[in-house]
Amino acid sequence: MKLLRLALRTLRREWHLAELRTLAASLLLAVVALGVVATLASRVERGLLASAAELIGGDAGLSAPQALPQAYADEARRRELAVTRSARFPSVAFAGERGQLLDVDAVDRAWPLRGVLELAAHGSSTIGHGPAPGTVYLDHRALVALGLAVGQRVQVGGQQLTIAAELVREPDGGELVAMAPRAVMNLADAQRAGLLGVGSRAGHQLLVAGAPAAVDGWLAWAKAHPLPQGARLVTTEQTQERMRSAFDRAGAFLRLTALLSALLAGVAIALAAQRYARRKTPEIALLRALGTARGRVIGLLVATLAALAVPMALLGVLLALGVAEGAWRLAGTQLVHVPTTLPLLPALGAAAMGLAVLAGFALPPLARLAEVPPVAVFRASMVRRMRRVDTLYLVPALVALALIWSQSGSAKLAGILAASLLGVAVVAALLALLLLWLARRIAPGAHPALRLGLAALARRRALSTVQATALSLGLVALLLLAVVAPALLDGWRRELPADTPNWFALNLQDDQRADFTQRLQQLGARELNMLPLAMGKLTSINGTPVDRLHFADPRAKDWVDRQLRLSWTGTLPPSNRVIAGQWVGAQPPRAEVSIDTMWRDMFGLKLGDRMRFDVGEGTLDATVASVRQVDWSSFRVNFFLLLDPAHASGLPHTWLASFYLPRGHAEALAQLSRDYGNLSLVDVDALLDRVREIVGQVGGAVRWVLAFSLLAGALVLAAALATSAAERRHEAALLRTLGARRGQLRLAAACEFALLGLIAGLTSALGAAGAGWWLGRAVFRLDGFMPPLAPLAGAALLSAVVIMLLGLAGTRRVTRTSPMRLLREQ
Amino acid sequence: MSEPSQPLLEARDVSKTVRGPEGRLDILAGVSLAVHAGESFAIVGASGSGKTTLLGLLAGLDVPSAGSIHLGGHALEAMDEEARADLRRRMVGFVFQSFHLLPALTAEENVMLPLELEGRDDARARAHEALEAVGLGARRRHHPAQLSGGEQQRVAIARAYVHGPHVLFADEPTGNLDQRTGRHVADLLFALNRDHRTTLVLVTHDATLAARCSRGVELIEGRLAAPAVAP
Ligand SMILES: Nc1ncnc2c1ncn2[C@@H]1O[C@H](COP(=O)(O)OP(=O)(O)OP(=O)(O)O)[C@@H](O)[C@H]1O
Ligand SMILES: [Mg+2]
Repeated sequence: MKLLRLALRTLRREWHLAELRTLAASLLLAVVALGVVATLASRVERGLLASAAELIGGDAGLSAPQALPQAYADEARRRELAVTRSARFPSVAFAGERGQLLDVDAVDRAWPLRGVLELAAHGSSTIGHGPAPGTVYLDHRALVALGLAVGQRVQVGGQQLTIAAELVREPDGGELVAMAPRAVMNLADAQRAGLLGVGSRAGHQLLVAGAPAAVDGWLAWAKAHPLPQGARLVTTEQTQERMRSAFDRAGAFLRLTALLSALLAGVAIALAAQRYARRKTPEIALLRALGTARGRVIGLLVATLAALAVPMALLGVLLALGVAEGAWRLAGTQLVHVPTTLPLLPALGAAAMGLAVLAGFALPPLARLAEVPPVAVFRASMVRRMRRVDTLYLVPALVALALIWSQSGSAKLAGILAASLLGVAVVAALLALLLLWLARRIAPGAHPALRLGLAALARRRALSTVQATALSLGLVALLLLAVVAPALLDGWRRELPADTPNWFALNLQDDQRADFTQRLQQLGARELNMLPLAMGKLTSINGTPVDRLHFADPRAKDWVDRQLRLSWTGTLPPSNRVIAGQWVGAQPPRAEVSIDTMWRDMFGLKLGDRMRFDVGEGTLDATVASVRQVDWSSFRVNFFLLLDPAHASGLPHTWLASFYLPRGHAEALAQLSRDYGNLSLVDVDALLDRVREIVGQVGGAVRWVLAFSLLAGALVLAAALATSAAERRHEAALLRTLGARRGQLRLAAACEFALLGLIAGLTSALGAAGAGWWLGRAVFRLDGFMPPLAPLAGAALLSAVVIMLLGLAGTRRVTRTSPMRLLREQ
Repeated sequence: MSEPSQPLLEARDVSKTVRGPEGRLDILAGVSLAVHAGESFAIVGASGSGKTTLLGLLAGLDVPSAGSIHLGGHALEAMDEEARADLRRRMVGFVFQSFHLLPALTAEENVMLPLELEGRDDARARAHEALEAVGLGARRRHHPAQLSGGEQQRVAIARAYVHGPHVLFADEPTGNLDQRTGRHVADLLFALNRDHRTTLVLVTHDATLAARCSRGVELIEGRLAAPAVAP
């Protein structure tokens, strides 16, 4: 306790020191940056789960091809969960002469338990629940196809129902495909009409909702019992999977931002701690000379640091929570329609991490401080020189690695960042040593004023190298934050341009192609793309029938039993990348197949393996010619297996068309689907909208955090630089005594800091460009991503100039005040 | 010794006031003195009497609160810091009680500093010579931390006169040294005064050192105790 009191007193006395304030500010920055992002990420995660529930219409459920046993509903009610039942089936609806195949949801009046059923009637939209008996909701396409309006009657399943409202949006389980126009009717009506009986094509669903613990309990109970034939549990996690890919990348952005801010803070902490240690050296030497034990010196240092750090970390937690809440309100509310509470744990975790950063980066210089020998009282300059190799300085490197590892959430992101930063550190150190060596070489022959600055740098080789390296690392973090991250975000946004295909047409026949294309063009469709589609089965690999092969991967068995979708094309589709072998091309001498990485891994395939496919009556033997990496989140039509056109075009096939059609063509599309009765039209607008929304919202949140940490990072870096500039003041004062002109001091400082700025600017620009390029391709999967080189070069130049100006600013005080006062101050 | 009509260094009614934590503090009041070229001049007095302050004023390191100081015919208080720096470089050399060598530089590089500031090309050769003259030719690659106090002070003396200043100011140059080393350092200073006719202004506690000077004044609580002693 005595120690703590002493530490508090020390802190109060030393609080005016710039380096202690820098330490405090850096810690604050680290905690806030880490805390904001961790809080936001956990909240978005929760929100995503909640929005998955909205898509399902409940928190969890069970679906099966037949009616579900009553026990599941009873168990849910016993756990005080709300329950709803529904069924989905195709049915043809009639209105006068017209008939139209509809996807019908038959629901009870409690449905949906989560999410919204949006209805429109008489020009206004409302949020509602399942329709009353005798009524039905039809979506716009159905209304148009049948030539009906709200209030009129329609015949569904032999029953005359009144159209109570137009169906605008319903919880649809996050289904990509809405094959047919939709209708929602009353479950009891459907039962009465015999639409759900044995032999019907209805799928049944039971949904529950309520307190999370009760839902989990119900799910556990359901899992503990054998499920009815063909039934499967519906959980938010599965549904959320589809949004995952979009969210994962957003999360990577957020984590990258926080990580870089924390590392930036670490650099500033290291610089400030070094400076603090130097300042404390005479004092510690005195304490030691007066008989203070080394343990006590360490204790005092640690206690002082703790007295500074703990309140700062707590302040950081509060700020992080505040900022996260603000960012959530500004950017996040539309992401999720369910209110979520502010989680506290992530921010506390960030505080712990911030303290670890402080300890890791401040430890080496302070630990060395405890080793100051008492004899240093007599010769302060003796202990000033640094050790050339000091294993203690591995500690911050390890802390940085641990931080990168724990925060990045992906080994790839961690690896790339760590490698880039290490590369930058090494290059910066080498460049610094080289330039300093050069400086020493040319100093004697240089202009006398330049000579002074060059000589000053060259003589402090160790310190200058450390400083150049630290500045480079800091600048890389800043450049990545300021220039590369926004470019990555833009690249991602551009990936889903406004005219991304939003419709798919399945089952198009060969002889319909030309006509269909013409019709679409008349409608104003763009980006039309057609791919052949054959359904077949894999029958043997390298001559061995698949049923006699044993696969380690359990998925393989599944795929062997399934009908596979096969296609062929002469050109490599966009969002595909060949990672092994050669792309098939249009005219290979023998039949070839290109497989994606999942198939390679599932079946243990390699180049040159032979695969046999049965398609209808025909068979095809193809050799594995290439392995593709496919970006499945690209919203394009992609295939696991691509054959070559020369050999595959003889197989029985249909065509799959994708195209972009602006909204508001429901009527024309309905006509189209009537004219091509065999065609299935699939609308992916809703899903595209949702992903665009996520990109937009998360992008907003990222920018928010980015701008904030950027500002704080720049401030801390400037402070660190200013502290080191103060170090030169005594020397400058002495030179002043010897009659150095203001211009000489300025030129010396300018030359010194320009050299530092040059090293830092150059290495950081290269580092940021390299890391950005690598990150863009490997982590954010942006094909052909190029970091913006001109802005990077500009920013690097600007930072070099700023570093020089900051150095110059440090000389201002010297040239203004009388040298007498400066000498006395020392 | 013939006395030129114009003194090299002259203080007229100089006072220095600072604003400290406890309010106004008069460090110097009404100090007048004159030092002629080639003289050796001692300023003695008790600790805290204002010797260092006076020396700083005479050398143009600071400006008086009132009164005027002329160095080589220039009124220091009328010049700005930049002009005074220029004057210092041309006319003045310094030796401090606590040496004030730059720890990152070798002995030779420390001595080179004033020449480098003037932009001289022969800095290294002249610095070498100066170090030889103070008997440290063999130690010129050493850093201050590797030198003893006396050796450091000799380096400081070499630095102070290497560019041939007109006046050499020394603030208790022997204060940190033992008697013998102190005497050696003092011998060096007086040899400069004698051989190069460098004017020497010396602050000291040491009565024997003061006695070796041609003239001197005593400060008591910021005031001159007696008129300057005639040589
Ligand atoms: N900038 C300042 N602010 C406040 N007080 C000052 C300042 N400069 C000098 N003093 C005070 O003025 C007085 C004279 O200081 P000075 O250093 O000139 O004494 P000195 O005669 O050289 O003493 P010593 O022999 O101990 O070196 C001292 O009391 C000192 O504390
Ligand atoms: Mg003094």
